[in-house]
Amino acid sequence: MKIGLQQTRSIGGNILVYLILILFGAFFAWPLIFAINNAFKPLNEIFLFPPKLWVQQPTLDNFQDLFVMMGKSRITFSRYIFNTVFITAAGTFGHIIIASMGAYVISKYKFPGSQLFFKIVIITLMFNGYVTQIPNFLVMNRLGWVDTFASVIIPAFAMPLGFFLLKQFMDTVPMTLIEAAKIDGAKELSIFWRIVMPTIKPAWLTVMVFSVNALWQTRASNFIFSEQLKTLPYALSQIVAGGVQRAGVGAAVTLFIMIVPLVVFISAQSNIIETMASSGIKE
Amino acid sequence: MLKKLRNLDFAGKNAIAGYLFISPFIIGFLVFMVAPILESIRMSLSEVNLNLTESKYAMVFNNFTNYNKVFRVDPVFNRLLTDELIKMVYTVPAIIVFSFFVALILNQKFKLRGFVRSVFFLPVILSAGVMLGLEVDNSLLQDMQQLIAESNAATSRITGVIERLLLTGGFFDSFLYYIIEIVNGIYNIALTSGLQIIIFLSGLQTISPSMYEASKIEGATAWESFWKITFPMISSLILVNMVYSVIDYFVRSDNQVMQRITDTIGKGDYGFSSAMAWSYFIIVIAVVGVLAAIISRRVYYYE
Repeated sequence: MKIGLQQTRSIGGNILVYLILILFGAFFAWPLIFAINNAFKPLNEIFLFPPKLWVQQPTLDNFQDLFVMMGKSRITFSRYIFNTVFITAAGTFGHIIIASMGAYVISKYKFPGSQLFFKIVIITLMFNGYVTQIPNFLVMNRLGWVDTFASVIIPAFAMPLGFFLLKQFMDTVPMTLIEAAKIDGAKELSIFWRIVMPTIKPAWLTVMVFSVNALWQTRASNFIFSEQLKTLPYALSQIVAGGVQRAGVGAAVTLFIMIVPLVVFISAQSNIIETMASSGIKE
Repeated sequence: MLKKLRNLDFAGKNAIAGYLFISPFIIGFLVFMVAPILESIRMSLSEVNLNLTESKYAMVFNNFTNYNKVFRVDPVFNRLLTDELIKMVYTVPAIIVFSFFVALILNQKFKLRGFVRSVFFLPVILSAGVMLGLEVDNSLLQDMQQLIAESNAATSRITGVIERLLLTGGFFDSFLYYIIEIVNGIYNIALTSGLQIIIFLSGLQTISPSMYEASKIEGATAWESFWKITFPMISSLILVNMVYSVIDYFVRSDNQVMQRITDTIGKGDYGFSSAMAWSYFIIVIAVVGVLAAIISRRVYYYE
């Protein structure tokens, strides 16, 4: 905890700091608080105008309705949940392994073309994904992956953001650590697996949060057409699509989808902030 | 001994190991990122006829017709682009100032620091999908807005009520209008500056406390040590954050140009929308390049 001289603060200064923190903190937490409150509001309160932030008469009706509707679904709801969990787990796991391996050698081995490749990765971060939807579909078609989980999972392996963050963090791992292991006779793969990966745990935890967040919410409606392969967000969005009378259920759905990324974030929270820190200063 | 290991043979071994490790990522990256991007260049230079039944499309090369259409025929693209560029000019500095300010506050000592910091990091985690979904995409909110708009057209925005009360016609109208715009904007600025806050915070923590101590002994006030120590030490991160904010601003899905591009894709005009996306992409890179060139001259690098 390096604070410097700022520790010396008057009472007035203290009050000011807390005031500012509360004010801005409220800005940041507001959408989350709103979503949580909305999920417990009865229908008449949701449509109250002007809208109230805090729920007046909390009720579990919205969740009850949601579960009833889940039960009525043509395909058992556990199937959708399994699909999304499977896609999220497989995609995240593969992405972390493959992107870490690539980031490791880009950062620590200077081989021909490595810097050029990294620059290309950075530039693609600026490109928007919508335009490539159609060519992407053709690629999947050629590979025969349309209507399979592979069409969602495999491209997730090669997401540039995770690769970028991992590379920035790898730069902070001292080369001497790797050289020492090499002198002791460790093979490349065991250096990577037993020295580098444990050292950069905060980095891949961060990437895990981003990846889980993205994959958990994927609707995959571009590539997957069979009903039994559809994902949870898709199924839930179908339920909400019923119109105004489903507003309460919609609020419950929003909270329901939010929970998993939120839990993953909270459990990895302190590590993430550390990673963001080092990816920022190592430019 | 080590010197012997570092001969050409070692470098060669290194390169082979390097290629082996990175090849899975490169293959995936080429197939799923680079190939579609290159294909979209070709699309932007062609007339695209989609055949939905066979899931194929035919492309006829038509030179720069699409680009001509983007800049000279399309009635809205230029207007949206200049709109967003002007908005960027005041939004990005606002984000930088705001995030720097919040980072300074968060760097102070207070209770529950870890908890407060994660609150400020929440938007970064949730903005990817849930948050935007919450604000834009959610049919619930859309329905709500529609309902409210129907019931009372004049109060369709939350600040609309206040606006109506204040803008009774008169001298202060335009002045009040800007204040209301800023109040509406602060919320967006706060939500888009989560990552920048973290980056500034990390930078602030790397400044050695001994510098502040030394300057205090020399008789510097807190104000002076802020401008002579904190600010120069953090200046390289201002560059990083500036670049990040500009890119983030331009590729956000609620950016008007991005929305225009997605809309045209929805209408099936692929050649035109690819041309639009590519023009936009190149303009964004140019803006980032110019900004980075200007700022990097003023950045102070501590040895």
